[in-house]
Amino acid sequence: MRLVIEVWRQDTPADSGRYETHTVDDATPEMSVLELLDRLNDQLVEEGLEPVAFESDCREGICGACGVTVDGSPHGPQRNTPSCHQRLAGYADGQRIRLEPLRSAAFPVIRDLVVDRSALDRIITAGGHVAIAAGTAPDADSLLVPHERAERALDMAACIGCGACVAACPNGAAHLFVGSKLTHLSLLPTGRQQRGKRARAMLFEMEQDFGPCSLYGECSRVCPANIPLTAIAAVNKEGLRSFFRHKDD
Amino acid sequence: MASARTTAGQVSGAAGPLLPGADDSALELGSVRAGRVRRPPVLPSWVLKVVMAVSGIVFALYVLVHMIGNLKVFTGVDHFNEYAHWLRTVLQPFLPYEGLLWIVRAVLLGCLVAHVGAAAVLWSRGRKSRGAHRHKGLGLRNFTARTMLVTGIVLLGFVVFHVLDLTTGTAGAASASFRPATVDQAHAYENLVASFQRPVAAAFYLVAMIALFLHLAHGLWTVVSDLGATGRRLRAVGYAVAGAVALAVMLGNIIIPISVLSGLLS
Repeated sequence: MRLVIEVWRQDTPADSGRYETHTVDDATPEMSVLELLDRLNDQLVEEGLEPVAFESDCREGICGACGVTVDGSPHGPQRNTPSCHQRLAGYADGQRIRLEPLRSAAFPVIRDLVVDRSALDRIITAGGHVAIAAGTAPDADSLLVPHERAERALDMAACIGCGACVAACPNGAAHLFVGSKLTHLSLLPTGRQQRGKRARAMLFEMEQDFGPCSLYGECSRVCPANIPLTAIAAVNKEGLRSFFRHKDD
Repeated sequence: MASARTTAGQVSGAAGPLLPGADDSALELGSVRAGRVRRPPVLPSWVLKVVMAVSGIVFALYVLVHMIGNLKVFTGVDHFNEYAHWLRTVLQPFLPYEGLLWIVRAVLLGCLVAHVGAAAVLWSRGRKSRGAHRHKGLGLRNFTARTMLVTGIVLLGFVVFHVLDLTTGTAGAASASFRPATVDQAHAYENLVASFQRPVAAAFYLVAMIALFLHLAHGLWTVVSDLGATGRRLRAVGYAVAGAVALAVMLGNIIIPISVLSGLLS
């Protein structure tokens, strides 16, 4: 299968960037988007050209390192699938495929398809963790967590922090990301003790880089961890709660 | 890595660049800048969204009650005019003449300023956070979300026309036979029929009601999120109520100009 690849090239963060067109003749339907980039880079190196910089690590959808925009859609055209699992089966011979970095003012491009996602790290640093003295490991069954609640917390903890929700949002909002963390940590016994303080800290940090939510719903369509749109409501819920309650927990 | 980090955390280029033309320190540290898109805002976006949600609920309740009042037009000319007169004299002598109307107007105006002001700030923040590369190719699935600004501006224009047409009776907007309400009697029925007998006014009303449906349907659904409803049943109820209220307000209002133009009301 022959694919015409339009790929974003940008040498430095300050560069304006441009699209470059290359052709890969031996793409196969079972290839992932990242494997297509690998193949393209092999070709570029053989031709003595600079390979395309992109991020990837586990390639099994759990690390959150990969993330390119494929034909305008973060990660790729298939819903709720990370770039590493986006196969080329939907592409026909001779078709064009456009690869660009995750787009957001909060994610400046470092080089080619690699973006700086430290804005998300700053939110986690601000409050996306449990910072209490929990003592030694408790005895089994001394801290009871209902099964239903544990499942809900795990569903929200599934976020891999890839940043696709931000890139999918026409407002550059990070509500799905922040909401999933806030919900996850507010449901569990240790995380709950800092519920209010955490909400204030994470929202304060979020406001400085990310936009408001207009409920387009694009984020939960691309989320490889299937975080539901409910997470978005958790941002305002935790914000209102911490505002009126005015306590650390 | 071919480069060595100095004590200050900077990448030294002594060993030569990692990649031709690349920003080595950005590559090495995975970080371009510590700067933010904006300084911490005095009014955070989530607070502004709550302001929009609360003022939006006030508008939604108002248009719902307004629509139900409008439907009294089908109960006959006298009954409708009596209703219009009652709105001006209700709660007398505790309130002066038109007292309730002026309270409602003041509340609505306050909500309008808050709603439009918050929308403008949020719109500009969204654009800044998104950056230069806009999200294109959004399908019909979020048509209502994408058109909130457009439908909002149409509604704002309609409200101005509507007040000039049927409240103040300003020449140009109102029909030639407009008669203002007096202390003893209202002429709401005659004014309404005369206004909608002008096809342009009726068409603008129709367009405005479609815009209102789109704006309310998405707006009320957004309210559910903005007020922090995370429960599954509550969200499902909110979704249904949003659609039902939006549809009811549009249909209830739209049959009035259609009835006038088809001669059912005259």
